[in-house]
Amino acid sequence: MKKKKYRSIEQLKSRYGYMFVAIWIIGFVIFFAYPIILSILYSLSDVSLSSEGVSTEFIGITAYKYWLYEDPNYLNWLTTDVTSMLYSLPIILLVSLVLALLLNQKFPGRLFFRALYFVPVIIATGVVLKLMFQTTSEDLAGAGVSAALTDSMFSIEDVTKWLDLPDQIAMYVKTIINNIFDLLWNCGIQTVLFIAGLQSIPRTLYEASKVEGATKWEEFWFITFPSLGNVILLVGIFTMVDLFTNNRNQIIDKAYNLIYTGNFDSTSAMLWIYFVVVSIIMGLVLFLYNRFLLKRWS
Amino acid sequence: MDFIKKLLENPALNIRRRKRMLNTAWGIASYVFKILILLAIGYIVIYPLFYMIVTSLRDKQSFYASARVWIPSSIDPVFNYTMAIEATNFFNALKSTLTREIIAAVIEIVTCSIVAYGFARFKFKLKPVLMAGLFLTILIPETMIIIPRMVTYSNVDFFGILGGIEKLFGNSFDITPSLVANEVNFLAFWLPSLFAMGLRSGILIYIYIQFFKGLPYELEEASWVDGAGPIRTFVSIALPSSSVVFTTVTVFSVIWHWNDSLLASMYMKDNYPLAVQLERIQTYLTARGYTYHNRDTMAIMMAGCVLFIIPMLIFYMILQRRFIESIDRVGITG
Repeated sequence: MKKKKYRSIEQLKSRYGYMFVAIWIIGFVIFFAYPIILSILYSLSDVSLSSEGVSTEFIGITAYKYWLYEDPNYLNWLTTDVTSMLYSLPIILLVSLVLALLLNQKFPGRLFFRALYFVPVIIATGVVLKLMFQTTSEDLAGAGVSAALTDSMFSIEDVTKWLDLPDQIAMYVKTIINNIFDLLWNCGIQTVLFIAGLQSIPRTLYEASKVEGATKWEEFWFITFPSLGNVILLVGIFTMVDLFTNNRNQIIDKAYNLIYTGNFDSTSAMLWIYFVVVSIIMGLVLFLYNRFLLKRWS
Repeated sequence: MDFIKKLLENPALNIRRRKRMLNTAWGIASYVFKILILLAIGYIVIYPLFYMIVTSLRDKQSFYASARVWIPSSIDPVFNYTMAIEATNFFNALKSTLTREIIAAVIEIVTCSIVAYGFARFKFKLKPVLMAGLFLTILIPETMIIIPRMVTYSNVDFFGILGGIEKLFGNSFDITPSLVANEVNFLAFWLPSLFAMGLRSGILIYIYIQFFKGLPYELEEASWVDGAGPIRTFVSIALPSSSVVFTTVTVFSVIWHWNDSLLASMYMKDNYPLAVQLERIQTYLTARGYTYHNRDTMAIMMAGCVLFIIPMLIFYMILQRRFIESIDRVGITG
């Protein structure tokens, strides 16, 4: 009798669970799964729009072949977009982690800096940034933002030469400094997520390490970093998705132009190729991260 | 440093006192260092904002002086801002943003919390599968599904059900209004939010789940024992203790919706919200004879940007303190 009642409560609870997520399941089917299937279908068909609606005619992978073999620019755009994503990712993660670590400490003026660093969250998504970059790069008086920065400090070439860095790394450093505003303005939400993650690490761990006489450095590598493992994963995924749907990417830009002119079939194909390439790279990054960092610490 | 060294070597001081002084010196040094780093990065972070504001005030003449002068030699804010208001059709666009994007954001905040509560507090068989689905919605961005969504909306024919009936019975539906039509296009924003599938809902649900997981079970069990149903428990036990996570999610959702220009430009034909109007400000200005290399154009564009971010800055100022504190308490564990 008792056991039966217990089980029925479990069943009841699971039914309540379904009740809460029911709207999401409906939404998932209508607004996510169904459009995705349609999108794949469009990419494999010849889509024509008329006043009665959409008619599709199955033509196979013609559109994919076109983008991969015939279009002169597509592969170039693909490489540029993917490399720019790859160089941005580590620097965004590193900067936002460092900022989160600094802003997470208790010191006078902390609230001011937190408020300051979240301003980009408000501004950096989309339109304003796009207009900013158009304006600054066209500024004939030489007030281009990054030019102003590099002029006023030092020449990057001199520094990399003086440090005797290999060419690739020198290039990397140069690209980062040239895009420093773009990168820093993309760090806002990541910093917020990292701070939330840092807060969830139990205080007792730090207290114990203090008793054992650990230095701050050891504290970071043996407590903070391993505990953040999954948060870094989440932030990494978020950053990658954010970077590759950025409308300053050439492919995304081109896709919007094509959508406005009604080329649904070839746009879908183009976006799917892009998405597959990006997700392979994302998978690879996540795999390496899992393999060499997450496993090592847990 | 010499001063500190001398003090430390002074045999008159006992060891404990020496140690304490060293600690204070070290503390001050690291504090100054920290502030310096934060200020340096903060300068880079805030520079574009200043640049935007200063440029929006400039008049034509002042552009020929060096632009790195922070205080422009002559200003003409009235002209720039009235032009920007005219070019973006500001008040109309603001209304459009509020009725479509912001209401969608509010709906999304509510529905996502309900769904997340279900994911976080109940066990059910399909949960791992559904969680994988949730992960997919974070991973696959709006861009991938925008085309089919737009096509579906413009026919209001989910799954082709209406089309099927049409073929079966032979009568056509005149009532099918396109959601893209101006009178009802707010539905294209509200409906996905209503089903917790709005703009970046996946990540919002994830933040909610992380928070709800951390709530103590005892209170809820007590309310179960007292005979409250699941909805009652959610509304009167879980929600009152979750203002923290609501602040975080509200800030994110409202800001993302405010900045969204992609969905709006896809679903609408006119009466665009602010973000789209701002994106197209240059086209408007070019048509009016303000070309790209014209100095006025830049000032007007930046004035438009300032107008666009002011409401969000005010919104952020109001919520700022609560938001900054809330981040501390949301706690994401991955």
